[in-house]
Amino acid sequence: MFDFFIHVASIACLYGVLALSLNLQAGFTGLVNFGLIALFGCGTYGAALASGMGWHPLLGLPAGIAMAALLGLFYARLGRKLSSDYWGIATLSIAEIIRISVTNEQALTGGAQGISGLPLLFAGLKPYDGVARLALYAAVLALVWLFCQRLVKSAFGLSMKLMREEPQLARSLGYDLDRIRRVVMLVSAAIAAFAGFLYAHYLTFVGPDQLVSPETFLIWSMVIIGGIANNRGVIAGAFLMQFAMAYVPFVKDALDLPTDFVAAARLIIVGGGLLAFLLWRPKGLFPEKVGGSNGR
Amino acid sequence: MKTTAFAAAFAALFGGLVGIAPAMAEDITIGAVIPLSGASATTGKDQSRGIELAVKQVNANGGVLGKQLKVIVEDSGGKPQTAIDAAKKLVSVDKVPIVIGEYSSGNTIPLGQYLVQEGMPHINPASTSGLVRDIGATSYSVVGLDNVSTEFAAQDVLDHGWKKVAVLAMNNAFGQGVAEEFKKHFTAKGGEVATTVMYTIGQSTYRRELQQVEAAEPDAYVFTAYGTEGALIMQEAFELGMQEGKPWYSILITMMNKDTPAEFKKGLIGMDVGYIGEDGDSYKSEYETAYGETFLSAYGGYAHDAVLFAAAALNKAGSTDKAAVLKAIEDLGKEGVKGATGEIKLDADGQRTHQPYLKFKVEGEKLVAYE
Repeated sequence: MFDFFIHVASIACLYGVLALSLNLQAGFTGLVNFGLIALFGCGTYGAALASGMGWHPLLGLPAGIAMAALLGLFYARLGRKLSSDYWGIATLSIAEIIRISVTNEQALTGGAQGISGLPLLFAGLKPYDGVARLALYAAVLALVWLFCQRLVKSAFGLSMKLMREEPQLARSLGYDLDRIRRVVMLVSAAIAAFAGFLYAHYLTFVGPDQLVSPETFLIWSMVIIGGIANNRGVIAGAFLMQFAMAYVPFVKDALDLPTDFVAAARLIIVGGGLLAFLLWRPKGLFPEKVGGSNGR
Repeated sequence: MKTTAFAAAFAALFGGLVGIAPAMAEDITIGAVIPLSGASATTGKDQSRGIELAVKQVNANGGVLGKQLKVIVEDSGGKPQTAIDAAKKLVSVDKVPIVIGEYSSGNTIPLGQYLVQEGMPHINPASTSGLVRDIGATSYSVVGLDNVSTEFAAQDVLDHGWKKVAVLAMNNAFGQGVAEEFKKHFTAKGGEVATTVMYTIGQSTYRRELQQVEAAEPDAYVFTAYGTEGALIMQEAFELGMQEGKPWYSILITMMNKDTPAEFKKGLIGMDVGYIGEDGDSYKSEYETAYGETFLSAYGGYAHDAVLFAAAALNKAGSTDKAAVLKAIEDLGKEGVKGATGEIKLDADGQRTHQPYLKFKVEGEKLVAYE
């Protein structure tokens, strides 16, 4: 039971990091990104690339972040021309294009069969490797949270929120919206790629099936349920969703229900949970604190 | 404060979840991870039926180690992450001695790798990708891999006198493996693959892909497809006139035959894993009595045999101790175990050495095996 708890908590930490990344974009800056998973994928494939090329595993991290940064800049560049809803659709399709390209580039990415056999992080510390990984992921989550908190409370954070609320006003006051968008995308892309890198060295397998668009919407549901534009909230959302999904099988065992129940229950948790929150508690479990910027 | 109340409720929920202990039972339990939701849910259902019938059979014959056998079936959702979640639960909470799983190679490989890291016996009941061979030391397959099945298909196609073929396969781990291996064997045997087109599954039409393979002007079309996609491909090939005078050959024909109406598959032939071995007749009749229909896929029989194999290994080991079970699997692999899909023997890599393949032709709605 303990090992399983460690595992679920580890994955929840990584989802938490991803949720923070999406929150910077969608929550604070109003950038409705439906292609988040591609930024995450840059991280996983960065790790896979290092493994495939025989580099030191750590080199996968800069490789992944570099790819994510380029993709993030590309997303931001598109945002200059498109209004936010069209931008959302564009990011969704770019993420799909990337996934399909990865599936077809068999020589480089292993195609649909993916790349397996990546080194497992802390494998040498058995039997305490799980705890060590969880400690690292929790530390990463805490650091990213701290960073996001400082960022959104800074003057730059205020400009992010102004861009979200009143882009015209922001422009009239002399804010460079393109620059804001660029910086936010760069920072959050690096965060997402970092999560992807850690994830790849946890699962030890990288494949295009990890980059399907429902994964992006899973992160969205974590953000919305937890509380959009509230960093603490989205982390809570990530943990809540991950634990709810992972523990459904135990409810099945305890009540002696058929396994089909698990599949159905998971669908209801994501879809129904999202709908219920949008209808009755659109600001999530922990709503955004308005004016809570250290008295600024 | 509202937030505190929420935080408290949140904490309570977590505590509750962590506190749910697994139901302790006197049975011997093994685990299975199969796709009960997602794109392969139909095959998953067939697998779960195979498992159910195998458990019945094992328990009717005295069970395992003097106790009743129970299989805890978990849903993989057709995703690697969920499959690994399920395997972690089976290993660390239910403490099963053997895990069976999954269906598609993209999930079986990471699932198997996790189990190998834990030193756990893993039995692959369905995935045929050649990469399965490299999963690791404690991973075994009761199904023959692509290299074996495509060699059979390549020979069969050549025996029909078709030297130049076009290959159409889905763009996933399975399809890429089949296309690559088929080409290798077909070329080695003196045939020519004029073109290979990989299609994305879930499209509303495949006319573009069909016209692409038509342009290569082959002697015959060789394809592999899942249920409803196969039906659509056959229908559109019929509508485009591509079935006139040109033969169609389906690799793993049972995957798509059931969904395709008779008018669109006249003269279709193909091959599949023989889901019926020497001892398969009783399994087939039991299945039909229990569920009131014929097999949903070719893979229920293999899931069935995976359970029989696991039960035999546990009985041979005399305990659920990991090392003893692994030793028993190795020994059984050499001796052979009789199952619904024939005798199961494993090679030095723990992969099934040979398995029955059948040649099929379509007669009306039905598939008929022929020699």
